[in-house]
Amino acid sequence: MSPLEFAEFLSRTRISETLRDGIYDFPVLIILHILSIGLFGGALALTDMRILGWALTGIPVSQVIDQFRLWKWIGFVSLLVTGILLTLSDPVEYHNNLMFWVSVLVLAIIGIDAAIFRNGVYRSVSEWDQVLPVPAPARAWAARSLILWIALVFIGRAIAFF
Amino acid sequence: MIAGHSIALLDAYAWIQQVRPEALPLNPIARWEWVFPVVESIHICGMALLVGTIAILDLRLMGVFFTFRPVSEIGRLTKPWINRGLIIMLLTGPYLLSSDPSEYIQVGAFKVKMCLFLFAIAFHFTIIRRATQPRNDGQPPGRRTAAACMSLLLWTSVMLAGLWIGNL
Repeated sequence: MSPLEFAEFLSRTRISETLRDGIYDFPVLIILHILSIGLFGGALALTDMRILGWALTGIPVSQVIDQFRLWKWIGFVSLLVTGILLTLSDPVEYHNNLMFWVSVLVLAIIGIDAAIFRNGVYRSVSEWDQVLPVPAPARAWAARSLILWIALVFIGRAIAFF
Repeated sequence: MIAGHSIALLDAYAWIQQVRPEALPLNPIARWEWVFPVVESIHICGMALLVGTIAILDLRLMGVFFTFRPVSEIGRLTKPWINRGLIIMLLTGPYLLSSDPSEYIQVGAFKVKMCLFLFAIAFHFTIIRRATQPRNDGQPPGRRTAAACMSLLLWTSVMLAGLWIGNL
Protein backbone atom coordinates (compact mmCIF):
# COMPACT_ATOMS: atom_id res chain seq x y z
CA MET A 1 0.00 0.00 0.00
CA SER A 2 1.51 3.33 -1.02
CA PRO A 3 1.49 6.32 1.35
CA LEU A 4 -1.16 7.96 -0.82
CA GLU A 5 -3.35 4.87 -0.68
CA PHE A 6 -2.92 4.76 3.08
CA ALA A 7 -3.87 8.44 3.29
CA GLU A 8 -6.95 7.76 1.18
CA PHE A 9 -7.81 4.81 3.40
CA LEU A 10 -7.50 7.03 6.48
CA SER A 11 -9.70 9.70 4.92
CA ARG A 12 -12.48 7.16 4.56
CA THR A 13 -12.52 6.24 8.27
CA ARG A 14 -15.40 7.42 10.44
CA ILE A 15 -13.23 9.65 12.58
CA SER A 16 -11.70 11.36 9.56
CA GLU A 17 -15.08 12.09 8.01
CA THR A 18 -16.45 13.37 11.31
CA LEU A 19 -13.52 15.75 11.70
CA ARG A 20 -13.94 16.95 8.13
CA ASP A 21 -17.67 17.51 8.37
CA GLY A 22 -17.74 19.52 11.57
CA ILE A 23 -17.05 23.24 11.24
CA TYR A 24 -15.74 23.60 14.79
CA ASP A 25 -13.49 20.56 14.86
CA PHE A 26 -10.55 22.03 13.03
CA PRO A 27 -10.51 25.41 14.84
CA VAL A 28 -10.85 23.73 18.24
CA LEU A 29 -8.00 21.33 17.45
CA ILE A 30 -5.73 24.08 16.18
CA ILE A 31 -6.52 26.22 19.22
CA LEU A 32 -5.72 23.35 21.60
CA HIS A 33 -2.57 22.61 19.61
CA ILE A 34 -1.17 26.13 19.89
CA LEU A 35 -2.46 26.57 23.44
CA SER A 36 -0.34 23.55 24.34
CA ILE A 37 2.71 25.22 22.80
CA GLY A 38 2.08 28.24 24.98
CA LEU A 39 1.60 26.39 28.25
CA PHE A 40 4.29 23.74 27.86
CA GLY A 41 6.85 25.34 25.54
CA GLY A 42 8.30 27.36 28.40
CA ALA A 43 9.32 24.26 30.33
CA LEU A 44 11.03 22.95 27.21
CA ALA A 45 12.83 26.23 26.57
CA LEU A 46 13.93 26.54 30.20
CA THR A 47 15.27 22.97 30.32
CA ASP A 48 17.37 23.48 27.20
CA MET A 49 18.51 26.87 28.43
CA ARG A 50 19.51 25.41 31.80
CA ILE A 51 21.78 22.96 30.00
CA LEU A 52 23.13 25.83 27.94
CA GLY A 53 23.81 27.61 31.21
CA TRP A 54 21.57 30.56 30.43
CA ALA A 55 18.66 30.02 32.82
CA LEU A 56 17.90 28.63 36.28
CA THR A 57 21.61 28.22 36.88
CA GLY A 58 21.19 28.01 40.64
CA ILE A 59 19.46 24.64 40.34
CA PRO A 60 21.22 21.35 39.41
CA VAL A 61 20.51 20.18 35.87
CA SER A 62 19.08 16.82 36.93
CA GLN A 63 16.63 18.55 39.27
CA VAL A 64 15.45 20.90 36.53
CA ILE A 65 14.94 17.99 34.14
CA ASP A 66 13.26 15.96 36.85
CA GLN A 67 10.82 18.70 37.86
CA PHE A 68 9.87 19.64 34.32
CA ARG A 69 9.52 16.11 33.04
CA LEU A 70 5.83 15.58 33.83
CA TRP A 71 4.80 19.00 32.60
CA LYS A 72 6.69 18.51 29.35
CA TRP A 73 5.21 15.07 28.81
CA ILE A 74 1.66 16.33 29.30
CA GLY A 75 2.41 19.04 26.75
CA PHE A 76 3.97 16.65 24.29
CA VAL A 77 1.08 14.18 24.50
CA SER A 78 -1.36 17.04 24.07
CA LEU A 79 0.51 18.29 21.00
CA LEU A 80 0.80 14.78 19.58
CA VAL A 81 -2.90 13.94 20.03
CA THR A 82 -4.12 17.24 18.58
CA GLY A 83 -1.54 16.94 15.81
CA ILE A 84 -2.69 13.43 14.87
CA LEU A 85 -6.33 14.47 14.93
CA LEU A 86 -5.52 17.50 12.78
CA THR A 87 -3.81 15.22 10.28
CA LEU A 88 -6.74 12.82 10.33
CA SER A 89 -9.12 15.63 9.42
CA ASP A 90 -7.73 15.57 5.86
CA PRO A 91 -5.06 12.88 5.42
CA VAL A 92 -4.82 13.20 1.63
CA GLU A 93 -4.28 16.96 1.79
CA TYR A 94 -1.50 16.58 4.36
CA HIS A 95 0.03 13.73 2.41
CA ASN A 96 0.40 16.14 -0.51
CA ASN A 97 1.86 18.86 1.69
CA LEU A 98 5.67 19.04 1.70
CA MET A 99 5.82 21.03 4.92
CA PHE A 100 3.82 18.32 6.70
CA TRP A 101 6.47 15.73 5.86
CA VAL A 102 9.26 18.13 6.83
CA SER A 103 7.60 18.57 10.23
CA VAL A 104 7.35 14.80 10.68
CA LEU A 105 11.03 14.50 9.78
CA VAL A 106 12.09 17.24 12.22
CA LEU A 107 10.03 15.59 14.95
CA ALA A 108 11.76 12.27 14.26
CA ILE A 109 15.19 13.93 14.37
CA ILE A 110 14.34 15.58 17.70
CA GLY A 111 13.26 12.23 19.12
CA ILE A 112 16.36 10.37 17.97
CA ASP A 113 18.65 13.17 19.14
CA ALA A 114 16.99 13.16 22.56
CA ALA A 115 17.42 9.40 22.88
CA ILE A 116 21.12 9.74 22.00
CA PHE A 117 21.49 12.48 24.60
CA ARG A 118 19.73 10.46 27.30
CA ASN A 119 21.85 7.38 26.69
CA GLY A 120 25.02 9.35 26.15
CA VAL A 121 26.25 12.41 27.96
CA TYR A 122 23.22 12.58 30.26
CA ARG A 123 24.29 9.31 31.87
CA SER A 124 27.09 11.20 33.60
CA VAL A 125 24.91 14.12 34.67
CA SER A 126 25.85 13.80 38.34
CA GLU A 127 29.35 14.92 37.39
CA TRP A 128 28.25 18.15 35.75
CA ASP A 129 25.00 18.77 37.62
CA GLN A 130 26.14 21.98 39.24
CA VAL A 131 29.15 22.74 37.07
CA LEU A 132 29.36 25.82 34.90
CA PRO A 133 30.03 25.79 32.03
CA VAL A 134 28.11 22.62 31.28
CA PRO A 135 30.15 20.13 29.17
CA ALA A 136 30.21 20.92 25.47
CA PRO A 137 28.37 17.80 24.19
CA ALA A 138 25.41 18.55 26.47
CA ARG A 139 25.35 22.18 25.44
CA ALA A 140 25.56 21.20 21.78
CA TRP A 141 22.55 18.93 22.21
CA ALA A 142 20.56 21.60 24.04
CA ALA A 143 21.31 24.10 21.28
CA ARG A 144 20.25 21.59 18.61
CA SER A 145 17.09 20.79 20.55
CA LEU A 146 16.14 24.44 20.97
CA ILE A 147 16.82 25.25 17.31
CA LEU A 148 14.85 22.21 16.10
CA TRP A 149 11.82 22.93 18.29
CA ILE A 150 11.77 26.59 17.21
CA ALA A 151 12.13 25.48 13.58
CA LEU A 152 9.21 23.11 14.13
CA VAL A 153 6.99 26.06 15.11
CA PHE A 154 7.87 27.81 11.83
CA ILE A 155 7.48 24.63 9.78
CA GLY A 156 4.18 23.80 11.45
CA ARG A 157 2.90 27.27 10.66
CA ALA A 158 4.12 26.88 7.09
CA ILE A 159 1.92 23.79 6.69
CA ALA A 160 -1.10 26.07 6.55
CA PHE A 161 0.72 28.41 4.22
CA PHE A 162 1.58 25.91 1.52
CA MET B 1 -10.31 59.82 23.40
CA ILE B 2 -7.81 57.04 22.86
CA ALA B 3 -10.12 55.59 20.22
CA GLY B 4 -10.30 58.98 18.55
CA HIS B 5 -6.53 59.29 18.31
CA SER B 6 -6.20 55.70 17.09
CA ILE B 7 -8.73 56.37 14.33
CA ALA B 8 -6.78 59.49 13.38
CA LEU B 9 -3.58 57.44 13.11
CA LEU B 10 -5.35 54.86 10.96
CA ASP B 11 -6.66 57.65 8.72
CA ALA B 12 -3.11 58.86 8.25
CA TYR B 13 -2.08 55.33 7.32
CA ALA B 14 -4.90 55.13 4.77
CA TRP B 15 -3.98 58.58 3.43
CA ILE B 16 -0.38 57.48 2.85
CA GLN B 17 -1.70 54.50 0.88
CA GLN B 18 -3.94 56.83 -1.14
CA VAL B 19 -1.09 59.14 -2.11
CA ARG B 20 0.62 56.25 -3.91
CA PRO B 21 -2.30 54.00 -4.86
CA GLU B 22 -0.51 52.20 -7.65
CA ALA B 23 2.48 51.33 -5.49
CA LEU B 24 2.77 48.28 -3.29
CA PRO B 25 2.43 48.82 0.47
CA LEU B 26 5.59 50.05 2.15
CA ASN B 27 5.14 47.82 5.18
CA PRO B 28 6.78 44.45 4.47
CA ILE B 29 4.14 42.56 6.40
CA ALA B 30 1.48 44.00 4.11
CA ARG B 31 3.61 43.76 1.01
CA TRP B 32 4.88 40.17 0.95
CA GLU B 33 2.57 37.32 1.84
CA TRP B 34 5.16 35.21 3.64
CA VAL B 35 6.16 37.89 6.17
CA PHE B 36 3.01 37.47 8.24
CA PRO B 37 3.38 33.72 8.95
CA VAL B 38 7.06 34.24 9.82
CA VAL B 39 6.32 37.05 12.29
CA GLU B 40 3.37 35.04 13.61
CA SER B 41 5.72 32.10 14.29
CA ILE B 42 8.07 34.39 16.23
CA HIS B 43 4.98 35.59 18.09
CA ILE B 44 4.11 32.00 19.02
CA CYS B 45 7.68 31.28 20.18
CA GLY B 46 7.61 34.44 22.30
CA MET B 47 4.25 33.32 23.67
CA ALA B 48 5.74 29.96 24.62
CA LEU B 49 8.56 31.74 26.44
CA LEU B 50 6.36 34.31 28.18
CA VAL B 51 3.36 32.19 29.13
CA GLY B 52 5.39 29.01 29.53
CA THR B 53 7.75 30.61 32.03
CA ILE B 54 4.87 32.30 33.85
CA ALA B 55 3.20 28.88 33.98
CA ILE B 56 6.29 27.46 35.70
CA LEU B 57 6.27 30.30 38.22
CA ASP B 58 2.54 29.80 38.81
CA LEU B 59 3.07 26.08 39.33
CA ARG B 60 5.72 26.86 41.95
CA LEU B 61 3.28 29.27 43.62
CA MET B 62 0.74 26.47 43.69
CA GLY B 63 3.35 24.17 45.22
CA VAL B 64 3.39 21.69 42.34
CA PHE B 65 7.02 21.91 41.21
CA PHE B 66 10.36 23.03 42.66
CA THR B 67 8.98 22.98 46.17
CA PHE B 68 12.49 22.53 47.53
CA ARG B 69 13.34 26.09 46.52
CA PRO B 70 11.78 29.21 48.04
CA VAL B 71 9.19 30.97 45.92
CA SER B 72 11.30 34.11 45.79
CA GLU B 73 14.20 32.22 44.24
CA ILE B 74 12.05 30.73 41.47
CA GLY B 75 10.60 34.21 40.97
CA ARG B 76 14.09 35.67 40.70
CA LEU B 77 15.25 32.97 38.25
CA THR B 78 12.22 33.21 35.96
CA LYS B 79 11.98 36.99 35.95
CA PRO B 80 14.52 37.74 33.17
CA TRP B 81 12.93 35.21 30.84
CA ILE B 82 9.42 36.46 31.48
CA ASN B 83 10.67 39.95 30.68
CA ARG B 84 12.38 38.79 27.49
CA GLY B 85 9.27 36.90 26.41
CA LEU B 86 7.23 40.03 27.05
CA ILE B 87 9.57 42.13 24.91
CA ILE B 88 9.19 39.67 22.02
CA MET B 89 5.39 39.91 22.33
CA LEU B 90 5.42 43.70 22.52
CA LEU B 91 7.50 43.82 19.33
CA THR B 92 5.75 41.14 17.24
CA GLY B 93 2.20 41.92 18.38
CA PRO B 94 1.97 45.51 17.13
CA TYR B 95 3.85 44.56 13.98
CA LEU B 96 1.26 41.87 13.22
CA LEU B 97 -1.41 44.47 13.89
CA SER B 98 0.21 46.81 11.39
CA SER B 99 -0.59 44.39 8.59
CA ASP B 100 -4.22 45.55 8.65
CA PRO B 101 -4.89 47.91 11.55
CA SER B 102 -8.26 49.23 10.43
CA GLU B 103 -9.53 45.68 10.13
CA TYR B 104 -8.12 44.29 13.38
CA ILE B 105 -9.34 47.20 15.46
CA GLN B 106 -12.90 46.21 14.59
CA VAL B 107 -12.52 42.54 15.44
CA GLY B 108 -14.18 41.72 18.76
CA ALA B 109 -11.70 39.03 19.73
CA PHE B 110 -8.84 41.51 19.26
CA LYS B 111 -10.40 44.04 21.59
CA VAL B 112 -11.11 41.34 24.14
CA LYS B 113 -7.55 40.07 23.88
CA MET B 114 -6.06 43.51 24.43
CA CYS B 115 -8.18 44.06 27.52
CA LEU B 116 -7.29 40.63 28.90
CA PHE B 117 -3.63 41.20 28.07
CA LEU B 118 -3.56 44.50 29.95
CA PHE B 119 -5.29 42.85 32.87
CA ALA B 120 -2.89 39.90 32.84
CA ILE B 121 0.18 42.18 32.67
CA ALA B 122 -1.11 44.39 35.46
CA PHE B 123 -1.94 41.35 37.56
CA HIS B 124 1.50 39.89 36.97
CA PHE B 125 3.49 42.99 37.81
CA THR B 126 1.51 43.66 40.97
CA ILE B 127 0.10 40.56 42.66
CA ILE B 128 2.53 37.99 41.30
CA ARG B 129 5.60 40.14 41.82
CA ARG B 130 4.47 40.77 45.38
CA ALA B 131 3.94 37.04 45.92
CA THR B 132 7.54 36.37 44.91
CA GLN B 133 9.07 38.89 47.29
CA PRO B 134 11.54 37.28 49.75
CA ARG B 135 9.69 38.65 52.75
CA ASN B 136 6.59 36.68 51.71
CA ASP B 137 8.36 33.33 51.52
CA GLY B 138 7.05 32.13 54.85
CA GLN B 139 3.43 33.01 54.16
CA PRO B 140 0.75 30.29 54.15
CA PRO B 141 0.19 29.02 50.62
CA GLY B 142 -3.52 29.80 50.25
CA ARG B 143 -3.25 33.28 48.76
CA ARG B 144 -0.31 32.28 46.55
CA THR B 145 -2.31 29.39 45.10
CA ALA B 146 -5.27 31.67 44.39
CA ALA B 147 -3.03 34.23 42.70
CA ALA B 148 -1.35 31.55 40.61
CA CYS B 149 -4.67 30.12 39.46
CA MET B 150 -5.87 33.59 38.49
CA SER B 151 -2.64 34.18 36.60
CA LEU B 152 -2.92 30.92 34.65
CA LEU B 153 -6.56 31.62 33.89
CA LEU B 154 -5.79 35.12 32.62
CA TRP B 155 -2.92 34.09 30.39
CA THR B 156 -4.86 31.14 28.98
CA SER B 157 -7.70 33.54 28.17
CA VAL B 158 -5.28 35.89 26.42
CA MET B 159 -4.00 33.00 24.31
CA LEU B 160 -7.54 31.79 23.56
CA ALA B 161 -8.61 35.27 22.46
CA GLY B 162 -5.54 35.58 20.27
CA LEU B 163 -6.17 32.19 18.69
CA TRP B 164 -9.80 33.14 18.16
CA ILE B 165 -8.66 36.15 16.14
CA GLY B 166 -6.72 33.81 13.92
CA ASN B 167 -9.69 31.54 13.39
CA LEU B 168 -12.15 34.15 12.24
